[in-house]
Amino acid sequence: MLNAIKDVVRKSSIHVCIVNCGGCNGCDVECVALLSPRYDLEQYGIYVHNNPREADVLLLTGAVTEQWTDNLKRVYDKAPEPKIVVSIGNCPISGDVFNQEGGHVHAPASNFIPVDAEVPGCPPRPSEILEAILAVGPQAIADRGREKK
Amino acid sequence: MIVPIGPIHPALKEPIRLKLQTEGEKVVKAEIEYGYVHRGIEKIIEGQTWQRGIYLSERVCGICSYEHTQTFAETIEQICGVIAPPRAQFLRVITNELDRIQSHFLGNSTFFKSMDHETLFMHVLELREYAMDAIELLTGNRVNMGWNVVGGVRMDADERHFKPILENLKKIEDGFEITREMFAEGPALALRCKDVGIMTKKEAIKGRAVGPIGRGSGIKYDYREDHYTYEDYFDFKTIWRKEGDNYARTLNRFDEIPESISLIRQAIDNIPKGDIRVPVELKSGYAMRKNEAPRGEVTYMIETNGNLIKHISIRTPSIPNMDSCAKYMIPNVASVSDAVSTYASSDPCVACAERVSITDENGDVELKNIDEVM
Repeated sequence: MLNAIKDVVRKSSIHVCIVNCGGCNGCDVECVALLSPRYDLEQYGIYVHNNPREADVLLLTGAVTEQWTDNLKRVYDKAPEPKIVVSIGNCPISGDVFNQEGGHVHAPASNFIPVDAEVPGCPPRPSEILEAILAVGPQAIADRGREKK
Repeated sequence: MIVPIGPIHPALKEPIRLKLQTEGEKVVKAEIEYGYVHRGIEKIIEGQTWQRGIYLSERVCGICSYEHTQTFAETIEQICGVIAPPRAQFLRVITNELDRIQSHFLGNSTFFKSMDHETLFMHVLELREYAMDAIELLTGNRVNMGWNVVGGVRMDADERHFKPILENLKKIEDGFEITREMFAEGPALALRCKDVGIMTKKEAIKGRAVGPIGRGSGIKYDYREDHYTYEDYFDFKTIWRKEGDNYARTLNRFDEIPESISLIRQAIDNIPKGDIRVPVELKSGYAMRKNEAPRGEVTYMIETNGNLIKHISIRTPSIPNMDSCAKYMIPNVASVSDAVSTYASSDPCVACAERVSITDENGDVELKNIDEVM
């Protein structure tokens, strides 16, 4: 009974933190566009808070730069359980154009923290980002909340 | 007491660290720590062909990505001694001004978000979506347009594209006036942004502030006045204000939007017929070109070696703007929350700024104040 109530609560209120670990900003701009009245993120119970200590979903953008090799794990650890990570764009998957001679990136991001869902695109459309959060978010958070018990 | 803000913080959309030295509530000094998104993009472009270089230059910054490709293309054109045909120049003006509209809306919405004014934040973002629609209709992409090539533009446009663009511009104009009035004449908003974060003209010149930030402090300078396309074919007036506070900077960005809309209308009405791209014979040489990006003046210095790029140096407007923000605007603001909104009013774009770090002989990376370096 208690778990069922917890499931409902966890599914219907998702706090999101955007972590830019060294990209070109394009994906972050599309995440900001999600807040606009056209896409209206908050009608799905998702709230962009940008504070890892309150986050259920970490939205990861950017190829991992030198400064983030240590800090990415620290940010991940600060988020409370249950949590999921959605990586946005090509950069966290492969490093995109930055992952070649002369670049200072350490992609993929899954070397540093576990990544649950990946949305490819340079940058992906806001509707695709929203779809990914909704597809993987509520159910996974509820399931992981039960695992910990 | 030193209050650190960032790199991940509710008020910032990009990773950067602000260190505010406070005395009680008052902020007396600020320092900006860069380096979180340094990817070494100039080094990557070296030794590549222009086809790869123009793709990479679009990824310097995601918000003003268009202006980087145009400046890159114009620099290579200058080396090769060609000028894009008039039709291509007009199409470049249309995309450039659409990009400026969406960037100014985004900058202002971030400022309103930092002041916790959700209503204006939503209004401005709603208007921005119309500009994004127009960009998508014309180029096929929302953010990274891939519109420029050396010698012209990638695709031609006709009446089918121009009509929806004009309809979207009409929608922006319908909602624009009331949004601007809400900000410009709202008493509660004015209390929080008038006379906050003042930068005088003298300080703006000293800090090399450019773009709407410099123009908000009384520097009447817009590189579009000197650009050959705008000089030959277009009429527009440079918007500038004298106050130099958060209110002036934000209103300056608002007032530039109707000018951009009028420039797009002029371009669509008078677009000449002809080629959109000329063949370019690549040469070796060096050239420097400037352009007015949404945040100010962007400069490309390229040295080519036949068909390969030997050396490239990019100067973006964000570094002087952010440094003059830390040095002249934030000191003496009344509280920490005002310091954050002052930082947001300078429309910072961290991804642009992260290309240079200064290293001393011992190998310790040390980031210095801009006045010590120049």
